[in-house]
Amino acid sequence: MDATAKPAFLTREESAPAKPRLLAHPTAKTGLMSWLTTVDHKRIGFLYGVFALFFFLVGGVEALLIRAQLMFPNGTVLTAQQYNTMFTMHGTTMIFLAVMPLSAAFFNYVMPLQIGARDVAFPRLNAFSLWTFVAGAIVLNIGWIGPFFGVEGHNAPDAGWYGYSPLTSKQFSPGHAVDYWVMGLQLLGVASIAASLNFIVTIINLRAPGMTMMRLPVFTWMTLVTAFLIVLSFPAITIALVELMMDRNFGTNFFEVSGGGMPILWQHLFWVFGHPEVYILILPAMGIISEILPTFSRKPLFGYPIVVFSGACIGFLGFAVWSHHMFTTGMGTVATAAFSLATMAIAVPTGVKIFNWIGTMWGGHLMMRTPMMFALGFVWMFMIGGFSGVMHSAAPADSQQNDSYFVIAHFHYVLIGGSIFALLAGIHYWFPLMFGRRVSEFWGKLSFWVIFVGFNVTFFPMHFLGLNGMPRRTFTYDPNLGWNSANFIASVGAFVLGIGICIYFAVMIYTYYKGERVGRDPWDGRTLEWSIENPPPEYNFRVIPTVHARDAWWYEKHHRDEIAQEKEAHARAEEAHGGIHMPYGSIWPLVVAVGMLIAAVGITAFEAKWDVPGIHWKLGLSLVGGLVAFLGIYFWSLEGNEGYHLHLDKDGKPEAAHPPAGH
Amino acid sequence: MPKFVPSLGRVGRALIALAALVLLSGCEWNFWRMDGHQSTMVVDGPVAREQLRVFYVTCWVTLFIFIVVGSVLAYTMIKFRAKSEADEHAEPPPQSHGNPLIELGLIGASVLALVIIAVPTLKAIWVTYDLPEPERKNAYAVTATGYQWWFKFEYPNEQAAVDNTGTKAPLVTGNELVIPAGRPVRINLRTVDVIHSFWVPKLAGKVDMIPNRANVIWLQADQPGYFWGQCAEYCGDSHAVMRFRVIALAEKDFAEWRDRQLAVARAVAATAADAARPRTQVTALRAFHRNEVGVTAKFDQNPLEAWRAKQQPAGNEDAALIAQGRQLFTTKTCNACHTVRGHGAMGVQGPDLTHMGSRTTIAAGLIENNSEQLRRWIRDPESVKPGNKMAKAYRENKISLNDEEQVAIVAYLESLK
Repeated sequence: MDATAKPAFLTREESAPAKPRLLAHPTAKTGLMSWLTTVDHKRIGFLYGVFALFFFLVGGVEALLIRAQLMFPNGTVLTAQQYNTMFTMHGTTMIFLAVMPLSAAFFNYVMPLQIGARDVAFPRLNAFSLWTFVAGAIVLNIGWIGPFFGVEGHNAPDAGWYGYSPLTSKQFSPGHAVDYWVMGLQLLGVASIAASLNFIVTIINLRAPGMTMMRLPVFTWMTLVTAFLIVLSFPAITIALVELMMDRNFGTNFFEVSGGGMPILWQHLFWVFGHPEVYILILPAMGIISEILPTFSRKPLFGYPIVVFSGACIGFLGFAVWSHHMFTTGMGTVATAAFSLATMAIAVPTGVKIFNWIGTMWGGHLMMRTPMMFALGFVWMFMIGGFSGVMHSAAPADSQQNDSYFVIAHFHYVLIGGSIFALLAGIHYWFPLMFGRRVSEFWGKLSFWVIFVGFNVTFFPMHFLGLNGMPRRTFTYDPNLGWNSANFIASVGAFVLGIGICIYFAVMIYTYYKGERVGRDPWDGRTLEWSIENPPPEYNFRVIPTVHARDAWWYEKHHRDEIAQEKEAHARAEEAHGGIHMPYGSIWPLVVAVGMLIAAVGITAFEAKWDVPGIHWKLGLSLVGGLVAFLGIYFWSLEGNEGYHLHLDKDGKPEAAHPPAGH
Repeated sequence: MPKFVPSLGRVGRALIALAALVLLSGCEWNFWRMDGHQSTMVVDGPVAREQLRVFYVTCWVTLFIFIVVGSVLAYTMIKFRAKSEADEHAEPPPQSHGNPLIELGLIGASVLALVIIAVPTLKAIWVTYDLPEPERKNAYAVTATGYQWWFKFEYPNEQAAVDNTGTKAPLVTGNELVIPAGRPVRINLRTVDVIHSFWVPKLAGKVDMIPNRANVIWLQADQPGYFWGQCAEYCGDSHAVMRFRVIALAEKDFAEWRDRQLAVARAVAATAADAARPRTQVTALRAFHRNEVGVTAKFDQNPLEAWRAKQQPAGNEDAALIAQGRQLFTTKTCNACHTVRGHGAMGVQGPDLTHMGSRTTIAAGLIENNSEQLRRWIRDPESVKPGNKMAKAYRENKISLNDEEQVAIVAYLESLK
C-alpha cells in the first residue's frame, strides 16, 4: 500500500475563516478544561478507566454488604428492602458501570495504538460516549440520595438487574426507583452504541498501511466483535426499556397483565440483549489474555486464525442461546432442546481458545510476571466457570440449578475469574505504556495471590450451596438447611478478596506517583503499541507505521534497518503533506451529555402530585434538558471538524505551534 | 528487568494451604455433604432423580476434561517456565504459529464430549417436562397459585363443604401441599401478581409461575415424607421468606387427611370442665429480633411425625377463650381476607385458614405453627415478613392487638384442626 496516499482532509492546510468566540476551538492542554474538552482517545480511555474503577469499588462495597448479611443465618445487617437494593445495584453496577467501561477504557486506549492510528475515527463522538456514560451512571445511582432527604419513593433500584416484568410495573414497584433504572440504562445504551460504532469505523478505516484484517492483534479483533455485539444487542433492551417506560408512565400494555400484556415478552427481549451482553463482558477479556500470553511466552499466538474465528463464532452463537436463561419458564420440549444444544455448541469455540492459549505457552519461555500471573489465573478460573456453564446447558440439570447459588458460583467464576482477572492483568500489562512506570513485582504478585485465594474461598463453596438448594436473591436463610458453614466461608473469602482488591489499588496509586520508571517496550512486546515511547505523546506515532506481518512490532524489532529506512521516507512524505494532523478539542459533547442528564432526571424524578400550580416540573425540566442537548448538537456541528497540524523536531517534540488561521 | 522475588512463591503456597485448611475445616460443619432439607443431590422422586442423573453425566464429563486439560496446562506452566533471568533473556523460542491437525482434532474431541452430554439431556427434557399423554389422566391434579408472598393450593377434584348448607367448592389450602405418595402429581402453576417459581428440590426442579401463562409441573414422591420448598424467582421484598412444604402420605393416610379437610371448620363446644377452669393467664410475649429463627431443632428431627401430631385437637382446650378469639376474628376484620369455612369468614386475599391448626408452619413455611410463633406473627407481621399484605392491612385499618386479644386469636386458630 502506498503510505503517502493520504485522504484529502489530512492534507488540507488550515484555512478556516474567523469564527465567533462561542465556536472557538478549546486549546487548553492542561488543567480541568483540557480534560472536559479532550478528544484524545488516551485521555478518554483513562477517564473511562477511572470512572469504571470507582464504580468497581462501589459495586464491591455492595457485594461485601451482601456477604455480611449472609455470613450467619437470620442476619440483620440489612433490611429486606436494603438487601434487595444491594443485589440489584451490585449486578447493574458491576456489569454496566465497571466491567463494560473498563473494557471500553482499553478499547479506547489500546486499540488505536495497536492498529497504528492517531485517534479514533470520530474523536468528538468518543468524548460524547464518555460523558453520556457518566450521565447514565449518575441517573442509575441518583436514587441512593433519596432516603437521606426523606423523600418517599425515591430509592435506588431494587427490582433485580434484569428487571423482570411485572415486578417492575407501577403496581408492584411504585415510586421512582425503576424509572431511574430504566433511564440510566437508556443513557448507558446510547453511550455504548455510539462508542461501538466509533470503534467499528476506526478498525475498518484507520488501520495503518499493511495492517490487514488477518494481521490485527487479537485484542483489536475482539474489540471489533464486541462492538458488533453491542450494536446488535443493545437495541433489544432499548426497545424493552421504552416499552416498560410507556407501561409505567403512559398507560400502555406491553407487559401489563390486566391489559393482556405478556410478561414473558420482557424476558425474551431482555435476554436477546442479556446473553450477548455476557460475551460483551468476556470477549475483551479473552482479547487481553491473547495479548499477554504470547508476550510473556515470547511466542506468537498459537492458531491465530482459529482464535479469531472462534471469537467471531462465539459472537454469532451468542445471539442463538438467550433462552437458556429461561429453561424454567415452560418453553416446551422442542425449544428447550434447541437452546440446550445451541448452548452446548458454544462450548466448542470457547474450548478452542483454551487449547490455543495452552498451545501458545507450549515450548515458550514463560516469564512469570504479574500480568502473566493474572492471565494464568484467568485461564484456570475461566475453565472452571466454563465447565459449570456446560452443566447449565443440560436443561434438566439446570432446572435444579437455575436461580440457585450454583449459578452465582458459575457466573462469578466467569466474570471475576474471567473478565475481572483479565482486566486487572491488562492494567498491569499496559500500565508501563500508559504512565511510564512499572508496578513492583512483589506487591503485584502479593495482590494477585490474595485476590486469587479470596476469590476461590468466596465462590467455590457456592457450588455446594446451590446444589444444596439455596436460592439466589434471598436476604435471609434458616440455620437448619445445612447452608451455614458454606455461607460463613464465602463471607470470610469475600473480605479476603476485598483486602486483595484494596492492596491492588493501593499499589497502583503508589506506582502512579512513585513507581519505578521504565523505558520503551519493557515487556519485549509484540504489537504496535509498544513501538512508541511512554507515556505516549498525544500524536501517538511520529510516523504512521507500515505493517509487514502479524505481531508487527516484533517483526520490526527483528528487521530494524529496513524498517528504519522505510520510516524515514514516510516521515518526509508526511511532513511534505503538512505534518501530523490532530483534531481539536470540543466542549459540545459534554454539553449534549449534560442536556441528556437533565432531561433524564426530569423524566424520572417528578410526578404530578409534586406540581406547583402552573409549573409542570416533569415536562419543564425535560424540555430544558432537551434544549441544552439540542443546542449542544447544533454548536457541535457548527464548530466544524477541521484540525491542526503538528510539526515535530528531531526529538519528537512539537515545534512552536503554527496557530491556525483565524486565531 | 526487575529481579525475581522467589519468596512470593512461598507466600502463594502458604495462602493456598491456608485456603485449603479453611475449606477442610468446613468438613466438620458438614459442608459438602449436601444433604440438607432442600438438597438436589439426595432426592426422593423420579423427576429429581432424572435431573440428578443428567447432572452427574455433565459433572463427570467436564471433570474428566478438566483433569486432562488442567494436567496439560499445569505441565506447560512448570516445564516451560523461565527458571532464571538469564533464561528470560535467552534467544526467543521458535516462533511457531499453530498446528491445524491438533486444533481440528481437539475440536472434534470437544464435539464428541458434548454428544455424550447431549443424549441423556434430550431424553431427560422429554421425561421431566410432562407426563406422557395416557398417564396424565391418572395423575393427581392440584393447582398451585403464587401470591406475594405465599402459595395457595387448590384441589380441583375434591369438593369441600363451603358452609353448613351443603354448598360445595374445590378444596383450598395454603402453604402446605399434601399429596399422595407413590403417585404422579400434576400441578398447574398460576400466579395472581408477579412471577414466582415452584421449587421442591428433593422432588423436582423448578418451574416458574408466570402471569398469562399456563405452566405445569409434575412430580412424584417415592415414599411418604415431609419436603421443603421455596419460591425460586425474585418476587419482591419478602421473596426470601416465601416458602412452603410438601407432605406426601400413604394412600390411606391421604384419604383420611382429605376427608378431614373437606369438612367445615371445627367448632369447639364449651364443656362442664370449662366453667371450672381458671382464666388463662395472659403474659406479655417476649421481644423477637428481626429475622429471628422460628423453628426448633426438635421439629427437624421428625417433621412428618410433627405433622401427624398436629392433625388431632389438643387435649385441654379453653372453649371460652376460643370463642372470644372467633369473635375477634370478625371484629378485627381478619375475615375480610381469610376464609374459615363454616365460620362465616369468606375473604380470599390471604391463605384459607379453615384447618390451619393442622399445619406445621405459618407465614408461608417460615416459622413453626406453635402458640409463641403464631402470636409473634399476628402481633407484628411486618417484623416477620417485610412488606406483607397483612401488615399493610393492619396499618391502613389501624388494627392492633393487645396481649389478651393475641392470646384469644391464637387459641382460636390453633383449634382449627
